Amino acid sequence: MFFHITLERNMQLHPRHFGPHLRDKLVAKLMKDVEGTCSGRHGFVVAITGVEDIGKGLIREGTGFVTFPVKYQAVVFRPFKGEILEAVVTMVNKMGFFAEAGPVQIFVSNHLIPDDMEFQSGDMPNYTTSDGSVKIQKDSEVRLKIIGTRVDATEIFCIGTIKDDFLGVINDPGATA
Amino acid sequence: MSLEPFNRLVKLAARAFYDDVTIKGDNQPKAGRGDNRGMAVIVLDALTRRQWVREEDLAKALKLHSKQLRRTLRFFEEEKLVTREHRKESAKGAKIFNAAMAATADGQQGTKEGDEKMKMHMHSYCCLDYAQIYDVVRYRMHRMKKKIKDELDNRNTIQEYICPNSSCGRRYSAFDVLQLMSMDGESFLCENCKAELTESEKLAAEELGDGDDRKRRHEKLKDMLRKMEEQLKPLVTQLNRVKDLPAPEFGTLLAWEARAHAAAQATGDSNANDSSKSSQGQGYTGTPMPFLGETRVEVALSGLEAKEEIEHDTKPTSLKVLPPWMIKQGMNLTKEQRGEVNPQTKMEQGSSSVDDKKLNLDNEDEKSLQDEYLKAYYAALVKRQEEQEASQRAQQKTELPEGVSETPSERQVGMKSKREDGNDEIEWEEDPSIGNSGAEPYRLADLNVEADASDHEDEEDDIDWEEG
Repeated sequence: MFFHITLERNMQLHPRHFGPHLRDKLVAKLMKDVEGTCSGRHGFVVAITGVEDIGKGLIREGTGFVTFPVKYQAVVFRPFKGEILEAVVTMVNKMGFFAEAGPVQIFVSNHLIPDDMEFQSGDMPNYTTSDGSVKIQKDSEVRLKIIGTRVDATEIFCIGTIKDDFLGVINDPGATA
Repeated sequence: MSLEPFNRLVKLAARAFYDDVTIKGDNQPKAGRGDNRGMAVIVLDALTRRQWVREEDLAKALKLHSKQLRRTLRFFEEEKLVTREHRKESAKGAKIFNAAMAATADGQQGTKEGDEKMKMHMHSYCCLDYAQIYDVVRYRMHRMKKKIKDELDNRNTIQEYICPNSSCGRRYSAFDVLQLMSMDGESFLCENCKAELTESEKLAAEELGDGDDRKRRHEKLKDMLRKMEEQLKPLVTQLNRVKDLPAPEFGTLLAWEARAHAAAQATGDSNANDSSKSSQGQGYTGTPMPFLGETRVEVALSGLEAKEEIEHDTKPTSLKVLPPWMIKQGMNLTKEQRGEVNPQTKMEQGSSSVDDKKLNLDNEDEKSLQDEYLKAYYAALVKRQEEQEASQRAQQKTELPEGVSETPSERQVGMKSKREDGNDEIEWEEDPSIGNSGAEPYRLADLNVEADASDHEDEEDDIDWEEG
């Protein structure tokens, strides 16, 4: 799920940036540092939408670096158990398949794939129904449900299922290509 | 508010879920001194018969070591079945609890010694938390069912992987697979021994070994679910029965003590012993709530006493004569109540005031009237008896020829028939004398019923007199 929230961070700025464009430099560095990171608490920071407030800088003794407390607004993405996501399959093997929904990696084990889909090995391993109408392979798009999340300090990993109503392949690149 | 359905629930749950629970000490080796399975059930059962109970007392009553009991109780506390309270207390605090205990009269808590020796010791008390037990049991059943059902259709289960290497045997969950991926991305490898991991079936694998046979696994799970529903049926029905009943609530230890104490006070000091005794008798019947039922009894008694005091001045004769079996030692009774007063003393009392005298006169008139009525009544009774006997005689005479076969069969009954015969004889003998005097002969005939005929008249007179 996506959230728009206000976050805080202490930014350290090198003395060489002190000058007329100090603020721009600070914001650019914030974006470079924060976007794409993951915190267990808030999830993935997708984008910074604005800077609310930059506090008074504090010069650190010895180094000359200055620490600014920065308040900023950001879009974050955090997967939840029970959430339905659309994801792209990245890898298929006999144990199941991996998919990505933006920055989040999701594993769907073969028990959570409908029983009528069989694993087919080969140079393009895939899961196919007996009549061949539905095929899950690399770059397929699937709709899946998250049944478990593992949230570490800097990483989020999910277990998903497509064994439910309205879940499964939503387009098949193999058919169009 | 009845405890009974809830107690039944606790007992059923104990047998369903805690029957084979062993409570081991932290540092006790696994093969300790035999297993103590079933102890959990016994402790829970014992708790259903109590409210708040000091753990030492419970241990004593169950003949358990207090450490062992504490371990069991801690387990139940974690299971949310039991609430415990610990407090530092002196001998006085213990006394308060004992007083409360006596008031609620658990019956089994008779052993209380060495109260004086204690100086600020830590004491633990425990009590069943019925409301929470209801929830816990329901939640447990729900989880059990959900787990099997999820496993059954493979929904919402996190796959587990196991290392086939028997010396390693590590288990991994699907959350770890990112790190376990082999270089070619084809399989998962054990971190330890680099062996290829196999899927493990959580529930069924232990019995079936190979998890590949999906169909068999499916059937196994279905069977398990069916068995569970079948075996837990009594528990479910009990849960439904209890659903709409208000759960018994004892409150915290302090509140409970205060309540019990107040109840004890309400019964009055002089009656305190009696109340505890009577409620002790009730302790086993499953409603140890003395402050609900029994206080009322006590209040009624004290009310009666108050009434006595008021009425003693105005109407001394209205006191009821208590039957001798009701009079106990230590009861505060007047002589009138014991029935020791004869009518003459009453008359003397009555003549002390003018009004009473008049009333007495009336009473005397009435009394003579009633006496006459009684005589007439007895006479009529005797007459009727005579008539009956006459008719009986006539009947027996007529029946004698045919009744030969009947009489021996009656004799066979034994004692009873013999005594009946005796009765008959007496009546036969007395027949001639009946006509002479009024009431006496009837009495004689009735002797076997009323042994104390001489007292009888006095008592009856008394009663009549009071009614006037």
